[in-house]
Amino acid sequence: MRKSPAEGRHFATCLKIVAFGAAVNLFATQAFAASDADTILKRALDNLRGDTSLTTGSMTIHRPDWERQVTIKSWTRGKTDSLARSIAPPIDAGNATLELDQNIWSFDPKLNQVIKLPASMMAQAWMGSDFSYDDLAKSEDLLTDYTHRLIGTEASGGHTVTAIEADPKPGAPVVWGKIVLKVRDDYVIAEETFFDQDMKPARKLVTDKIGELSGRPFPLVMTMYPQDKPGQWTRLENSDAQFNVVMPGYIFTLSNLQNPREKAQ
Amino acid sequence: MIRALAWRNIWRQPRRTILTVLGIALPVMFLIFNFSLRTATNVAMQTNSLRIFDGFAQVQPKGYLRDPDFRKTISQPEKMATALRGIDGISAAAPRLATFAVLANGSRSYGASVIGVDPAREHAVSTLAATVHVGRFLKVSDSNAAVIGDGLARNLKLAVGDRVTLLGTAYDGSTAADVLRVVGIFHSGADSFDRETLELPLARAQATFGYGDRANTIAIAGPTLAGVEDAIPAAALLAARYGVVVENWQALEPSLYDSFVFDSIVSTMVYSAIVVVVVFIILNTLLMSVLERTREFGVILALGMRSPLVGLVVWLELLLLTLVGIGLGIILGGGLILWLGHQGIALPGGEKMLAQLGLPQRVYPALTLLSVFATPGAILLAVCVAGLVPYLHVQRLQAVFAATGA
Repeated sequence: MRKSPAEGRHFATCLKIVAFGAAVNLFATQAFAASDADTILKRALDNLRGDTSLTTGSMTIHRPDWERQVTIKSWTRGKTDSLARSIAPPIDAGNATLELDQNIWSFDPKLNQVIKLPASMMAQAWMGSDFSYDDLAKSEDLLTDYTHRLIGTEASGGHTVTAIEADPKPGAPVVWGKIVLKVRDDYVIAEETFFDQDMKPARKLVTDKIGELSGRPFPLVMTMYPQDKPGQWTRLENSDAQFNVVMPGYIFTLSNLQNPREKAQ
Repeated sequence: MIRALAWRNIWRQPRRTILTVLGIALPVMFLIFNFSLRTATNVAMQTNSLRIFDGFAQVQPKGYLRDPDFRKTISQPEKMATALRGIDGISAAAPRLATFAVLANGSRSYGASVIGVDPAREHAVSTLAATVHVGRFLKVSDSNAAVIGDGLARNLKLAVGDRVTLLGTAYDGSTAADVLRVVGIFHSGADSFDRETLELPLARAQATFGYGDRANTIAIAGPTLAGVEDAIPAAALLAARYGVVVENWQALEPSLYDSFVFDSIVSTMVYSAIVVVVVFIILNTLLMSVLERTREFGVILALGMRSPLVGLVVWLELLLLTLVGIGLGIILGGGLILWLGHQGIALPGGEKMLAQLGLPQRVYPALTLLSVFATPGAILLAVCVAGLVPYLHVQRLQAVFAATGA
């Protein structure tokens, strides 16, 4: 049987399209793989915070026998500065935490006093949650104190998810044995597992829900599970976020921590 | 008849017998003295270390020891403490609230254990009040008072009369904050404890941390550590009714317990070595006396005495010799201990060093059945067994050869 010229051309076109598609696919995969682990992590953290960010969310602290919820408004600037202020319930309203570089100050409205957190307290729970003050103060650590390598990719929910292992640099002042992250191809961190020095999983931060916030893919709900305490978790839910907004410098000052002026924002 | 024979035999050589008896009596005296002194020092160290803060035992919520989460509490601690005081051997039970907070003075801040104690009860379980060297300990009438360790005072640059700010987590998870006035500074001698401990009145702590009438632990004490240890099963039964547990001092202070276990292993080795040496000295003496008397035994055998009986005489000689030596040793050692138990023994070393070891200036050794009979018993047992050597030697003698010395 002979092919007609028309059929032949059609076949060639199909082939071209398939080839092009394959090439595009190949290119895309390579591009993602080539962007090394460092870059992926950096972009993932950028995605989370932007140059500046203003978010409102709630934190649910769950224990086997009780649960409480706090609503928190937070401001971030760059990777090191942040201010978090509780706005509800009334018993917590006004409590605020300011982080500048790696220092943390806490403001308590009952005392009307600002207290700088001592280094020895940094590993303690922040507001009774499963997050520590270190989690607030050392968000930059993941980039600076660890070396990163790609350990695999998988497809999940229509996204390519890259697994990255972060190992502490020799002598780095970190508490974890290693951290394993799963980052989606839209740079949303899907899961973060913290291993202790014996390389046993100590706690796991899981992104439960991803959605659009201010036009970027963003983890709307994240839950931290300490591995040694079943039935205990802390969930962060973001309801509102604005990125790269112009933020007055006074927000990240001790005087603003004690006498809030950011309400004008 | 056999006994009389053996007794007469050992006094046929009075000088040698006296030397041998002394050779047993003096080590026995030393062992009794050493054992009693060591026991007394250990008990003093245990008591002093435990009495500073822990108490002789503690009632705690289940799992609190491994993971002292402030949410693990004892409800109705006062009621339970009263019930505990009703148990034989327990004379004091003091509820405590224990949590962790940031303490701040101006721009200085440190993390510290914050302990709420009942000023009316605490002195009965803890000697911490006696170590307050500046200011005073908490009083029943105190409200916003606090006592802190000297290391913490130094780090926070706090003096008596200064205000200290406290920021922690309340029982409901919200922020707990308070301002207290330092009324006293203590020096327990345990550096880490002095560097990170603040005590405030229990009622104030319960209010600040939103505990209601709950507490985290109940510290228990009694006239003696041993008495409280005996009372633990009864206390545990009571605790079970409240859904909590009793932790003994070994669980509260595992490193202290380990050090005593190690000490007793080393001491047992030393005592065993001394016992072995003593037994060999006695055995050697008796074996010599047996060899000297080969001819005599030969004659006795020739006269018709059966050799097991001769062996028994020799074995009894050894036993009598040892019993006399041990008896004398017990009299000497026991007398020494009784006298020293009254006088006390001044321990060498400065007050500071002794305090760091948790030791008093003077210890008062006490006679116990164990201290008096443990090592002498071991010697007696070893001699009974070792006595088989001369016994068997006599068994092998044959009348004719022995009698003629061939």
